[in-house]
Amino acid sequence: MSRVAEATRPAARAVPSARAFRLREWLEREAVFSWLMLAPPLLFLLLFLGYPFCYGVYLSFVRRPVAQPATFIGLNNFLNLYNDAIFWQAVWNTFRFTAAATVLKLAGGLGMALVMHQNFRLKGMTRALLLLPFIVPTVLSTVAWQWIFDPGMGLFNRLLMFLDLVKQGPSWLGNPTLAMVSVILVNTWRGLPFFGITILAGLQTIPDELMESATIDGAGWWGRFRYVTLPLLMPVIFIVTTFSIIFTFFDFQLVYVLTGGGPANATHLMATYAYSVGMSSGQMGMGSAAALAMVPVLGVVLLAMSSYVRRR
Amino acid sequence: MARNHGSDGSTSRRDFLKLGAVGAAGATVGAGWRPRKAEAKPEKITFLRESSYVKEFDEHFNKVLIPRYQQETGIKVVYEIVAAGGSAVPRTVSIVESKAPVDAAWVQQEWLYREGLLDVSDIAKDVGKQQGGWYSEIEGLSVWEGKWKSVPFGNIGQCMVYRKDWFDQVGATTFPDTWEEFLEVGIKLKKAGHPYGMSMGHGYADNNSWLLPLLWGFGAQVVAKDGKTVTLDSAETARAVDYVRKLYKDACLDDCIGWLDPHNNKAFLTSQISATNNAMSILISAKRDLPDMGKVIDHALNPKGPKGRFHSFVPVTHGIFAHTPDPAAAKHFLRWLMDPKQVAAWYRSAQMYHAPFLHAYDKDEEWNKEPRFKPYQKVLETGKLVSWPAAADRRFGEVVNKWIVIDMFAKACTGTPTKTVIAEAVTGLKQIFG
Repeated sequence: MSRVAEATRPAARAVPSARAFRLREWLEREAVFSWLMLAPPLLFLLLFLGYPFCYGVYLSFVRRPVAQPATFIGLNNFLNLYNDAIFWQAVWNTFRFTAAATVLKLAGGLGMALVMHQNFRLKGMTRALLLLPFIVPTVLSTVAWQWIFDPGMGLFNRLLMFLDLVKQGPSWLGNPTLAMVSVILVNTWRGLPFFGITILAGLQTIPDELMESATIDGAGWWGRFRYVTLPLLMPVIFIVTTFSIIFTFFDFQLVYVLTGGGPANATHLMATYAYSVGMSSGQMGMGSAAALAMVPVLGVVLLAMSSYVRRR
Repeated sequence: MARNHGSDGSTSRRDFLKLGAVGAAGATVGAGWRPRKAEAKPEKITFLRESSYVKEFDEHFNKVLIPRYQQETGIKVVYEIVAAGGSAVPRTVSIVESKAPVDAAWVQQEWLYREGLLDVSDIAKDVGKQQGGWYSEIEGLSVWEGKWKSVPFGNIGQCMVYRKDWFDQVGATTFPDTWEEFLEVGIKLKKAGHPYGMSMGHGYADNNSWLLPLLWGFGAQVVAKDGKTVTLDSAETARAVDYVRKLYKDACLDDCIGWLDPHNNKAFLTSQISATNNAMSILISAKRDLPDMGKVIDHALNPKGPKGRFHSFVPVTHGIFAHTPDPAAAKHFLRWLMDPKQVAAWYRSAQMYHAPFLHAYDKDEEWNKEPRFKPYQKVLETGKLVSWPAAADRRFGEVVNKWIVIDMFAKACTGTPTKTVIAEAVTGLKQIFG
């Protein structure tokens, strides 16, 4: 190696190492590092949630049949929906479905959590088994429910006939009212463990001392539940109910597999209707408008949730 | 604050970031985002179809046709199967919209996205010329603005499937010829504990395949030939609605009003119903799995109404997506597939479940192997597209996918007055047809 080269080497090295040092320092700054860590999930959300959402908003203002160019039509898609009897039936169905299923899941989940909080043999295994409906893929369990609801071979009707309660079982999915009851039942069955386990987690945070004090003060089981357990569980119950409303309101798979929204639209939900208009009928604009119509409800729920959290 | 500089051998923050960057770059390259160059020979053709109710059909494609094509051309065929029962249309719609890497497909309800399909007139004309010509009715679907947008394949025929033994028991030794006779026999069968199961739910085939022919047989039409005038509000429609309400109440299993396409197969094979409208898949399944039942199942054409006997098509056509990177390769594949050397055996592998729209197969030997399948061949003669007498365009796609006509009948069965159900259906139709 020449002298010149040797002489210049340390200087040449010094520049990048100084740069590297500055870069390292910059990276180690809390503000920089936290943004770098946040960037991937933010990008992910923007790409897979923000972009489809904005595209959906854009589509709702255009007439855009599949494979055709878009024509701006302002609020016409929403006006068409406003005049669409099937859409209003789907809205009504969605509210009934969400309200009934949420109340049932809340009541059942609370009961399930209270029982699971007791000490009994095989408690661990029972807790694990109760999670099954939540773990099994919805499509798979819904197909099983199709068999359970079968008029001739189904478990329900066989049981009713075995107990001599009826001569011939009802048509669970053929009668419009019973079809709605059936989808609510399946949704409740699937969502119950979510409530049960979350409320159980809340129950386990309640200190035993409070219960003991209440007992010493003469409170019975109802008094302990009403004045100790329930108030302390309220934050958990509120959060789990809010999440459940969101999940239930947007439910799609269950109805799509079980009834397809029938009979005669009796179980059509806003999600299944938006899908049938947008994806099956190829009316991307109208389908997006129907899907966006669900957003205000979500907005109200989120506002309620954030204001509750702030108050707490 | 304690910071991890990686001195203990664990990953430092910078290492983590570097790793992330490398991973993202790798994923980008690995995803194969670059489109295939048209001048290069393609490595593969992706062909999408709905799974067949006759498993031998898909097996033949996988085990015979794919290896043969690869052997002859060196090109691999990827056979993408979509579950049957309504998910194929949304899948093809999303392929057209997202330009997903699929080259050719069974283009179900192609009227929704013809603009996203290649002109395949050369193939369709040559195949027709070579194999006895096409049934003219199917041209109403495949030909659009003078161009063939798909190559017809076959019709999944829909006929009356019934239990001959139970019909015999109530004195109906031949299948009822008219809808009125069908009702009379049905009343007797229901009393004997063997009701009909006529699908009226949110399916796609087994509901339209008898309700539309019934409507036409009574002399009613949904839309006039001009494709604009809604003609559903008529005395003939009212008679058809009243008839279906009575048929449902007096002759059918209650459950059928909510059935999707697989439900009547299940009910028939579990001996809950004595008749339904379906493809030949019930008999094929019964012969395979329930041989005793297989002996007592028979098929018949739809009964006729005051204005004649009708059937509706469940057509299968193949098309090529306009976004395919290599149209010539995709066309070569489709032409090869429709060559008699390939397509004849493929039709026969499913016992003519897809009744060919090509006249060359009208008297094919395969039809004689199971005489009970012959009505499905006859369906081609009286079959109409569901949009009949109007052209099959995207607006009728909305009618079908919103179940406007089906729900008119279903609501009547739940007790809604005839006038109301027709008025509601007409309002829905006018929103679509303007």
